Amino acid sequence: MITTTSLYDQLISFYNNNSAGDEQPWLKDLRARAFDAFSTQGFPTTKNEDWRFTNISAYLKENYSLLPGSVSLQNVKSANAIPSFDGYEIVLKNGMLNEDVNIEGVKVTPFRTALQDDHLKLYLSKFIPLQKNPFAALNTALFQNGIVIEAEKNAIVDKPIHLIHVYNAEDPVFIHPRLLVIANRNSKLQVVESVFVTGESPLFLNNVTECYIAENAQVDKYYLQAFSPNIRLVNFTQCVQSSNSLYNNYTYTIPGANLVRNNLHLDLNGTNTESHLYGLYLTGSNQLVDNHTSVHHLFPNCMSNELYKGVLMDSSRAVFNGKIFVHQDAQKTNAFQQNNNMLLSNKAVIDSKPQLEIFADDVKCSHGSTVGSFNNEALFYLKSRGIGEKAARNLLVNAFAFDVTNKIQIPAVRKYIEKLITQKMSEAYD
Amino acid sequence: MLLNIKNLQAKVEDKQILKGVNLQVNAGEVHAIMGPNGSGKSSLASVLAGRENFEVTGGKVLFDDKDLLEFSPEDRAREGLFLAFQYPVEIPGVSNINFLRTALNEIRAYHNQPTLESKEFLRLTRENQKLVEFDAKLTNRSLNEGFSGGEKKRNEIFQLAMLNPKLSILDETDSGLDIDALRIVANGVNKLRSDKNAFIVITHYQRLLDYIVPDFVHVLYDGRIVKSGTRELALELEEKGYDWIKEPVTSASI
Amino acid sequence: MANKSDDILEEYSSKEYEYGFVTNIEMEIAPKGLSEETIHYISAKKQEPQWLLDWRLKGYHSFLKAEDPHWQNFDLPKVDFQGISYYAAPKSSAKFKSIDEVDPELIATFEKLGIPLSEQKILAGVAVDAVFDSVSVATTFKATLKEHGIIFSSISEAVKEHPELVQKYLGSVVPHSDNIYASLNSAVFSDGSFVYIPKGVRCPMELSTYFRINTENTGQFERTLIIADEGSYVSYLEGCTAPKRDENQLHAAVVELIAMENAEIKYSTVQNWYPGDKEGNGGIYNFVTKRGVCRGANAKISWTQVETGSAITWKYPSVILQGDNSSGEFYSVAVTKGKQIADTGTKMHHIGKNTKSRIISKGISAGEGQNSYRGLVQVGTRADNARNFTQCDSLLIGDRCGAHTFPYIESKNSTATIEHEATTSKIGEDQIFYLNQRGIDTEKAVALIVNGYAKEVLNQLPMEFAVEAQKLLSISLEGSVG
Repeated sequence: MITTTSLYDQLISFYNNNSAGDEQPWLKDLRARAFDAFSTQGFPTTKNEDWRFTNISAYLKENYSLLPGSVSLQNVKSANAIPSFDGYEIVLKNGMLNEDVNIEGVKVTPFRTALQDDHLKLYLSKFIPLQKNPFAALNTALFQNGIVIEAEKNAIVDKPIHLIHVYNAEDPVFIHPRLLVIANRNSKLQVVESVFVTGESPLFLNNVTECYIAENAQVDKYYLQAFSPNIRLVNFTQCVQSSNSLYNNYTYTIPGANLVRNNLHLDLNGTNTESHLYGLYLTGSNQLVDNHTSVHHLFPNCMSNELYKGVLMDSSRAVFNGKIFVHQDAQKTNAFQQNNNMLLSNKAVIDSKPQLEIFADDVKCSHGSTVGSFNNEALFYLKSRGIGEKAARNLLVNAFAFDVTNKIQIPAVRKYIEKLITQKMSEAYD
Repeated sequence: MLLNIKNLQAKVEDKQILKGVNLQVNAGEVHAIMGPNGSGKSSLASVLAGRENFEVTGGKVLFDDKDLLEFSPEDRAREGLFLAFQYPVEIPGVSNINFLRTALNEIRAYHNQPTLESKEFLRLTRENQKLVEFDAKLTNRSLNEGFSGGEKKRNEIFQLAMLNPKLSILDETDSGLDIDALRIVANGVNKLRSDKNAFIVITHYQRLLDYIVPDFVHVLYDGRIVKSGTRELALELEEKGYDWIKEPVTSASI
Repeated sequence: MANKSDDILEEYSSKEYEYGFVTNIEMEIAPKGLSEETIHYISAKKQEPQWLLDWRLKGYHSFLKAEDPHWQNFDLPKVDFQGISYYAAPKSSAKFKSIDEVDPELIATFEKLGIPLSEQKILAGVAVDAVFDSVSVATTFKATLKEHGIIFSSISEAVKEHPELVQKYLGSVVPHSDNIYASLNSAVFSDGSFVYIPKGVRCPMELSTYFRINTENTGQFERTLIIADEGSYVSYLEGCTAPKRDENQLHAAVVELIAMENAEIKYSTVQNWYPGDKEGNGGIYNFVTKRGVCRGANAKISWTQVETGSAITWKYPSVILQGDNSSGEFYSVAVTKGKQIADTGTKMHHIGKNTKSRIISKGISAGEGQNSYRGLVQVGTRADNARNFTQCDSLLIGDRCGAHTFPYIESKNSTATIEHEATTSKIGEDQIFYLNQRGIDTEKAVALIVNGYAKEVLNQLPMEFAVEAQKLLSISLEGSVG
């Protein structure tokens, strides 16, 4: 049974009114399937096991416009919040790419152009289980903007690409950003995403990112979620790895946004792959941050390693659900998963559900989950050395987060994140 | 003759490790097998004990005139072949004493001997612990779990004493031992030597052979025994290293 | 080696279930089907008071409204509730005043199962309640226990002799509307054990119930209720077997434990219901609701289970940690082989301050068995300084089995500490080789390794049963070697 809301009805009629455009037949077909998947599922409720702890109904009630705001973003000069970040900067204003991008070995194409031929037929929503992911299905049906970043064969991109999404939210908006990253054989690519918003009305981002990593290629993908409070993000990342590839995913959520839901799906679609998933969520006020990850080991000799750490303050809630599936053919799998949480307030709630499903016998798999607070011994030790309560707590939180922050390969990004943690912690104890 | 290895060849995955080993061991003898890293010393021990990832591709091994290679690993042990492992494995939750009693009684059953009475078993345990100066508490500790490197090796020798095999192969038992532990291990072996049993001591260094004096020394290189001699050969190797052994084989094979 | 293990596997798969015989005895069996009449029939047979009949009917109505759960990790078989007979009792069973009156055929049955019912032969220090299909046929050592004020009887007798206790506590931990199988049990439960330990009494012997399903097309729906009053202690053990039959039989029991201030209940299960044949035909559906509540401060409830039987085992013995400083424990070994499925674990609800829980779960999967740990650790806002430790290991033997772990962890209190660890591994080839090299064959080697792996749990069992359980574990894994 689907719970119909006015937003649901609005989306149905929006699709019906807009689907008549002249798109490629394969795309039309895909959109129709995707929309069907969305309309039969509807928005998920807490009865859906994957949404059990995350009730989104309150965030869907706004009177959203389904088109990006009309106010011009010409005046936005610099949206880059990361000091001394040496990277290729790409700014998308309301999902639109307004300037040419020249990066050696990399092709950056707006979807509006890229969708005009068959090239993307091989990639778009190929691996996303649309029947189980209504948001990703909705995005697939409706997205128009966003870009394709494709690294050519053997291209070693010398600097990270910094993708800055700029949105305006003078009025409530519900939009579907999309990103496709293709790393061809032997290429190496780093992508850092951040978001900059003007205006204070609710902005619902139903984001989908797909990342295809060909044989022997390497992708580092960062999503820096230091959002303003009016943002509601439901984010779906689908990554597909071919043999001998390496993928590093970094998701850092710092207080701000009302709602952050990250779905990270990894299909290890070849032998001898390596994947590292790092996450940090620092939550405050009434925030709800939910990370759902699933790693599918489909072939032998692959290694995946996942480490998510959370620090919860105020009346915030965090959810961690990590699934590892080791399919029958995936012998010699090494899969590790760890979720550690610090609960710093009695009003905060953490739900952690690490989960292993193993159908092969020659594997090494483990997961662990902890929930705790400050180590009082450590706190006392620091204080006895003359360090004040606030500074001591700050030190301990940074130390807790260190395992995840020290994995950041780009120094400027690492400094930026560490500074944000310190800043947020200081605010929390003022 | 206790052990007669004839032209033994074996490979692991697709790599030929043993390329025709010949060796005869009589009861009452101690043989040392030396050689550089990767020459096939430990592989020889594994093949004799029946480790499954080794595939015998040729040759014959007679143990007490029986075809050793026809036996399963446990039957080789029951026939009286003992391997002191280079890296003894840890088995959580299985107590040392339970393990030993099971092993001893399985071997006895194979020879149609009755199960050992608890009292007799404990007496034997105490006696042998003393003999090999192994004073670890065995009842409450899991097999090799939490043992130091030295303790593990001493436990191997203690098991050797308990199971009283005809032929013992010590696979780099000296590696990772300090001089005191080495002396204790060697003393244990010396006390167990008799004219009814034999030892094959595999080692990289001649140091151990100061304590366990061998009757014969063999040099294994590139899957073959390339030189055999008496104790003096070990001293010569110590002095000159292995390079002078390597030369002729390599040049001959070019 | 591959061939060798195949051989052993083959040999093992054809191994007979030891307790698969049928007892030929005249039975009184209710007509198949479930309706209000069935409940009236059972209640009348047992000459029950009106309040109990009313309560059963409430359970029945909850059952009618309840839906099948949907979250489990296996395909829930469709149970034909109308194809089951809900009451089967040996004809002669009216009431036994002493063991001499029990049908010799029944005594022989239990003897064959290793449960002697005459007090001369019985294991010293263990009192037994023997349940055959729907009724309790004998309870031993009643007199000795009575001297201490301990009540140990079948629940039917307790309804007659101590109605005030039964009425007060029945359904107080597992309400009749709890879940579909608990509702069904509330409606049709036929017998089970009742234990009451008075204030300050330490029960001088192990109490034990032995369950036997015998008749075709019946289910077993027993209800166990244990109350440990302030400062008392009891250790209780249940065991179970059933004949080999081609159709599946349903076992839907409810166990309720109540531990008052400073009381301790230790509840152990050795479950060896018929698991079905190697193709997965037949076997018991073991759908059980077990829950305990630590009502008072410093109370303690400990569940230990060794699960080797049943086609499907589906249960989560839980503890509600209500009293301050109370503690809950769950120790489990679950073995699945052939086509067996086990979805088991625990729930620890931390409500009181300084409450502690400890979960040790060891899953062993062989053949095509599927083994899931599913658990919940929940810390409420008031549960200051609550602590939980969970260790959850899976051992895989063979490449067609599965091991799954689904822990739910929820904390609402910043002073709580929760630790969960899980590992999955296979039996190490180097471990087997080491034992082989010492003259121990592969089969024995696996038994040694598995018993070592499960030791932490087996150590929790009362001594009389630990040895039994160890043997059971070795037997049930014989030959599943990789």
